[in-house]
Amino acid sequence: MDAAALDALDDEAFRLEVRRFVEAHYPPALRNPPKRLHWAENQVWYRLLAEHGWLAPGWPRAYGGMGLSAAKQLIVIEEFERHGCARTNDHGVVMVGPLLIRYGSEAQKRFFLPKILSGEAIWCQGYSEPNAGSDLASLRTEAVIDGDDYVINGQKTWTTLATDANWIFLLVRTDKAAKKQEGISFLLVPMDSPGITVRPIINLELHDEFCEVFFDNVRVPRANLVGEENKGWTMAKALLGFERIFLGSPRQSAYALVRLKLLAERMGLAEDPTFQDRFTRLRLDLEDHKALYETFAARLRRGEPLGADVSMLKIHQSELFQRITEAMLEIAGENAGLLEPMEGNRALHPAGLFIQARPATIYGGSNEIQRNILAGSVLDLPAT
Amino acid sequence: MSGDANDALRLIRDSAAAIAPRQGDLGRIRALRFARPGFDRAVWRQMAELGWLGLLVEETRGGSGLGPAELCALAEELGAGLVPEPLPFAAAIAPLLPDAAAVIAGERIVLPAWQERPNTLAPGTATRFAGGRVSGTKQFIPMADGADAFLVATADGLALVERDAPGVTLDLAMTQDGGHFGTLTLSNAPATPVPGRIEPALETITLALAATALGLMDRAFALSLDYLRTRRQFGRAIGSFQALQHRAADLKLQLELTRATVAAAAAAPSPAAISRAKARAAEASLLLTRQAIQLHGGIGYTDEYDVGLFLRKAMVIANLHGSAALHRARFAALAPDITE
Repeated sequence: MDAAALDALDDEAFRLEVRRFVEAHYPPALRNPPKRLHWAENQVWYRLLAEHGWLAPGWPRAYGGMGLSAAKQLIVIEEFERHGCARTNDHGVVMVGPLLIRYGSEAQKRFFLPKILSGEAIWCQGYSEPNAGSDLASLRTEAVIDGDDYVINGQKTWTTLATDANWIFLLVRTDKAAKKQEGISFLLVPMDSPGITVRPIINLELHDEFCEVFFDNVRVPRANLVGEENKGWTMAKALLGFERIFLGSPRQSAYALVRLKLLAERMGLAEDPTFQDRFTRLRLDLEDHKALYETFAARLRRGEPLGADVSMLKIHQSELFQRITEAMLEIAGENAGLLEPMEGNRALHPAGLFIQARPATIYGGSNEIQRNILAGSVLDLPAT
Repeated sequence: MSGDANDALRLIRDSAAAIAPRQGDLGRIRALRFARPGFDRAVWRQMAELGWLGLLVEETRGGSGLGPAELCALAEELGAGLVPEPLPFAAAIAPLLPDAAAVIAGERIVLPAWQERPNTLAPGTATRFAGGRVSGTKQFIPMADGADAFLVATADGLALVERDAPGVTLDLAMTQDGGHFGTLTLSNAPATPVPGRIEPALETITLALAATALGLMDRAFALSLDYLRTRRQFGRAIGSFQALQHRAADLKLQLELTRATVAAAAAAPSPAAISRAKARAAEASLLLTRQAIQLHGGIGYTDEYDVGLFLRKAMVIANLHGSAALHRARFAALAPDITE
């Protein structure tokens, strides 16, 4: 079925079609990976998606995407999650493609979009810096014009899967005199440029998902600027689309709650009234979260944009995920300290899931920032 | 939800504004507090004219044939207005009554009497009905003093008992919100049998109470936000302090979780869904109204300031038709097992 035919289906028929697709094509060995997979492991799925035309659900069909509505894109995400599909190195598809389609030059679109669809260009995101995390607009990595080039100096950090990438999209400071949001630009830089050094960061999961990326007099042509100079902040904000609902998906908590129940059974606590009340509270939190999530999904289905109130989903989901894993740790006895899953059973790994839940309240805008957003943009409270 | 269904809900909410305007002053509510019968029969007739008492009664019997979603929308608005008239109780049992016309017209007030112990959803069975006479005691009947008759759940079926019949005693205990609970003692009181079961009506009332709690916490939160924006200390609006902003964000989250779960239960009202909604609404309404007092500071602790009225209402509603703990346990017993 081609993209136009898929888009013409009603939501339920489309959902079944997506389900059929993942069941037919997703590599069984990659279901529910315990860690974020590297390109070497996940590229088989990336290429399968590309081959069947399913790689870019949100891009217009003219550029090789599926041209799906936000509601249908959400169904794709939900069904992929349901099946336990690994995330690919998807920054090119999710971030760079939409950026270029909206703001890029014709030459940039012609050059980059086919390379993203073919898996030839694998991207990482250069936003955060050691001194610009939650306060991203204070970033200091700078790009100075020298002839036909920009010369870049500085450091990025928390760069997901940078060791896999051959391109990086960067927010850089191009006007130090302007107010902090107004002197920022978007640059596209090959990772094999002289002067770039990548150093993996081992996280609490003992995984090398993140990296630091250093720029020492790195030169890129001025043609690699996206859109207007000093308008990068506006473009970056405009890119925050419906995907924000993704951070509030109930998937992580639903997955953890099933594992909490399994662990309670293994520890002989399933009938314990104290545990049962705690479990029911968590379960009700999850059920009510699903109801709240559904109200946002319904807005997308009606074609309405998401407001700043979507921050509520992120806060509640990530904190619920953590509370579930905290309950796991508490009932696990000495197993709470184990480095590897209990009894070699990947479904019984309270310590692993507890560690995995830690960054959920930090990434994607820390929960403290999300609360600031709610207070200011939704509750209309005065600026601090 | 279809556009038509949304329109029906909007109409109901708009009609509620006639009696419980969101911005209205609470003078009427204050005047009726701690008085008998604690509500106003003129307002009751006005509610009848708006079609609210026959909301759940079939159209062929003179009602509007609407469902729990509409009742919830109405209950939410009445909750926001702290309306003392026991509308959801009367509306939920109206479909059971043989003489529905007078009830729908607001001329006759019939309230359910089913409870024989605290914190339960199960009608008591110690009350007996034989030979046209009822004996037993029913507790926790909200606003019982205003009723003309009671629909009494007995071990032998439903019985309609007139308030002024021989053998009927009604004792009142005031509640924090200015209303009261009635205890109905029946000693060989004459009664007429009523076919049907009361349990479905009790479920409907439970759901409507969750919606009532949603409405009152919504308005208490709106009052708190207004206060945060306008009250100044240390030379700035207190709402600019991050500690208070983050608390407000957390309260908003609980409010919206309650709204979502009440809407889900109203759209598909299974007992498990109703328990989910009541458990959330009970806890969240107490949280939001307690915090409303705290965010207001000293003025919030005065009876003169309105925000306290919402806390006192929440104290009554939270445990009526089962506490949060009861509903969590009932949800756990009723809901299907979790799977991935």
